[in-house]
Amino acid sequence: MLVQVPGGWNPLLGRLAIDQIPYTNPILAPLFVAVVIGGIILLGLITYYQKWGYLWKEWLTTVDHKKLGVMYIILGLVMLFRGFIDGLMIRTQQVWANGPQSSGVFGAVHGYLTPFHFGQVYSAHGLIMILLAATPLLVGFMNIIVPLQVGARDMAYPYLNALGLWITAAAVALIMISLFVGDFAHNGWFGYAPIFELQYSPGVGVDYWIWTLELTALGTTLGGINLIATIVKMRAPGMTWFRLPIFTWASLSANIIALTSFPALQVALFLVACDRYFGSHFFTAGFGGNLMLYTNLFWLWGHPEVYFVILPAFGMMSEIFPAFSEKPLFGYITMVAASFAIAGVSWLVWLHHFFTMGAGPEVNSFFSVATMLVGIPTGVKVFNWAFTMYRGRITYTAAMLWAIGALFLLLVGGLTGMMLAIPAINYMVHNSVFVIAHFHSMLLVIVYAIFGSVLFWFPKVFGFKLDEFWAKTMFWLFSAGTVLVFVPMYMLGFMGQTRRLDYVFNTAWHPYLVTEEIGIAVYCLSVAAFFVLLYVSIRDRVKNRVGQDAWGTSRSLEWLTHSPVPFYNFAVTPHVNARDELAWRRHNGINEAQPTQYVDIHMPNNTGVAIYIGALTFVLGFALTWRVWWLCLLSLVAIIVLMIVRSWRGDPGYIITAAELEKMEREAMQRQQQVEGHLPHHGGHAVPSGAMAYEGQKVSPLGTPPSSGDHH
Amino acid sequence: MSHGHDNPILHPEVQMSSTRGYFTGFLISLVLMAAATAMVSSHAFPPFGLLMVITICAAIAIIAQIYFLLHIDVSEHNIWNTVSLVLFIPLFILTIGLTWWMFSQLYLRTMPMMPGMH
Repeated sequence: MLVQVPGGWNPLLGRLAIDQIPYTNPILAPLFVAVVIGGIILLGLITYYQKWGYLWKEWLTTVDHKKLGVMYIILGLVMLFRGFIDGLMIRTQQVWANGPQSSGVFGAVHGYLTPFHFGQVYSAHGLIMILLAATPLLVGFMNIIVPLQVGARDMAYPYLNALGLWITAAAVALIMISLFVGDFAHNGWFGYAPIFELQYSPGVGVDYWIWTLELTALGTTLGGINLIATIVKMRAPGMTWFRLPIFTWASLSANIIALTSFPALQVALFLVACDRYFGSHFFTAGFGGNLMLYTNLFWLWGHPEVYFVILPAFGMMSEIFPAFSEKPLFGYITMVAASFAIAGVSWLVWLHHFFTMGAGPEVNSFFSVATMLVGIPTGVKVFNWAFTMYRGRITYTAAMLWAIGALFLLLVGGLTGMMLAIPAINYMVHNSVFVIAHFHSMLLVIVYAIFGSVLFWFPKVFGFKLDEFWAKTMFWLFSAGTVLVFVPMYMLGFMGQTRRLDYVFNTAWHPYLVTEEIGIAVYCLSVAAFFVLLYVSIRDRVKNRVGQDAWGTSRSLEWLTHSPVPFYNFAVTPHVNARDELAWRRHNGINEAQPTQYVDIHMPNNTGVAIYIGALTFVLGFALTWRVWWLCLLSLVAIIVLMIVRSWRGDPGYIITAAELEKMEREAMQRQQQVEGHLPHHGGHAVPSGAMAYEGQKVSPLGTPPSSGDHH
Repeated sequence: MSHGHDNPILHPEVQMSSTRGYFTGFLISLVLMAAATAMVSSHAFPPFGLLMVITICAAIAIIAQIYFLLHIDVSEHNIWNTVSLVLFIPLFILTIGLTWWMFSQLYLRTMPMMPGMH
């Protein structure tokens, strides 16, 4: 039943052999040495400072949504860096391999990458940036912020949350190991039939690509289920649907898309795997297969996925603009409606990725109109943000700069998107770098929103602000890089440069390619500024400590609890009285009202099962890639056994008693008093009758924390 | 809306599950899959007829799985299942329907008719 693979195969090691390690490659071999040395130093440092126990207890086995979110974000930032290096390699190859006179090194005729290696680099760049950088970063933010915004103690399923993280980490490990063991796919990040068939890509690259995508799809689906359940079921009392913060609404719409679309990707790739492993003919040219059916199935997921990543970014912008304009968000209801309109239309537009298939004028017109429809809700959002800022008291913090930058990029990306939605234009620029520049503008909207959010929510998670000077330096360098790389790219697209060229024939394009390379150098400076930003901020962390409301103008519920957020989130579940609850409390002078009494709370225990299952899914993916059947079976059985054992045992959780809680809360409030240099003060506003600060407790007029009489 | 910590086994949707239901659903799916595979590999019908028969098998399998494995019905405590089902139906129609439409348009221009379709 299984297909015979070309090259060697043995029952013990499958296709693994020593010649699969690219130790002769002049780029990968030194990198491998550097990675090994770096890894040894890192592990040595952890051992030297005896941090293994801490790492295991506090991070690797945690089910705390904030720590899992932080790990998602670290994972995403590392992969963003890796994807950036791939981008740097692509740009360097193109500026070097320009024209017949250009030199070649390392076995390449032109430039420094052979066509096969170049193909792997751009495939990895695309896959990493969308699925292993943007997605984990956004999922990380949703993980941290959504439970806080709805007033929950944790996600609906804390253990499932850990499982989602570790399966995503397994996908990351799989794509990273493809650097040093075997090779990666050269078929572009979305793949083409029939080049990914075994006949045309006999190596393991495509198999790495299949299983990396399958694992990340699984991880994201689990995360999506969890977030939807959290938003639907875990809202604090009083948090009605139309009091939900916009970021939570955006997360809900995005995760509905994820939950409904990721199965299409999983099925499409499973069918590719059937072709490659069992010799079926789903996507071959003969035997009843259909090449375009793959493209169809892929974009059936691929387009909703695009909105899965953009909607949370829109949600982030919707949080940043009001906070730094000191105004409520303009058009809340229309914002919610626009998010769901975008989510709904996302299912109707996927053919615009392959207008040139030749489905005829009726089909192309339908999808063209559907694509342009997306412009309406997106336009509503742009105007809402503009009206939020209009006549607001705007503070140009670094976070606000990133959000405004995202708004400008959205205009550029959105308007070029409208152009591409017209089939007549699309036929002209199909697969040109104009399309590349368009979707990079859109994906950079996400990157800008993410960096804005890092700055905006960092004090909530860690208790101190990031340095404004270096954050702004990074912003301006990054924006200069964006202009320098992508404006020439739009131009080159109109001049006819197609995507994915390992050799650029036209020497007249050289100045543009050089400008793009300069842009990449400026991006490198902004990366350096980011590291300086982290260093300076951590060095000055004591000076930059903040209280609960880090910005003083924050609006939603997450700013009600302490900074950094205690592991139990809210000592007593808050009662929500209004949309923009914290702004409402500030207005009514009860923003520092503390609960009058505490009750025991029930928390989930840490578990190592999630990381074990993550490790085993990595082993499964690796074994499937190399066709080591005994190891596949072993890891699959181990995963199932672990799942059953864990389900059987369940988690009784543990109790934090009211006394312990009161003690921790008092310490947190003392820290806050040190930071803010004053006691909680209370305005003299009359609180509307029926208002409740905490569940089951009337608003205390003085709001003094229980049994804390020591005024200093 | 508040999150209770009562025994999850007592939740009504958990109470709906039974070993017998799971096995029935599993067996029905297994039999239908085996039947479809056997018919395809033995070329029991002309291609278009085969397509129709396996489509019907798949539809029955879907309904059996929805009922026996996912326990989707329209009762009050399963309200969110019903909501998901209602959301799912238009997506199902859109994805399958639009795919069918675009490929039929494509085939008009690029493909000879499948045997048995006249």
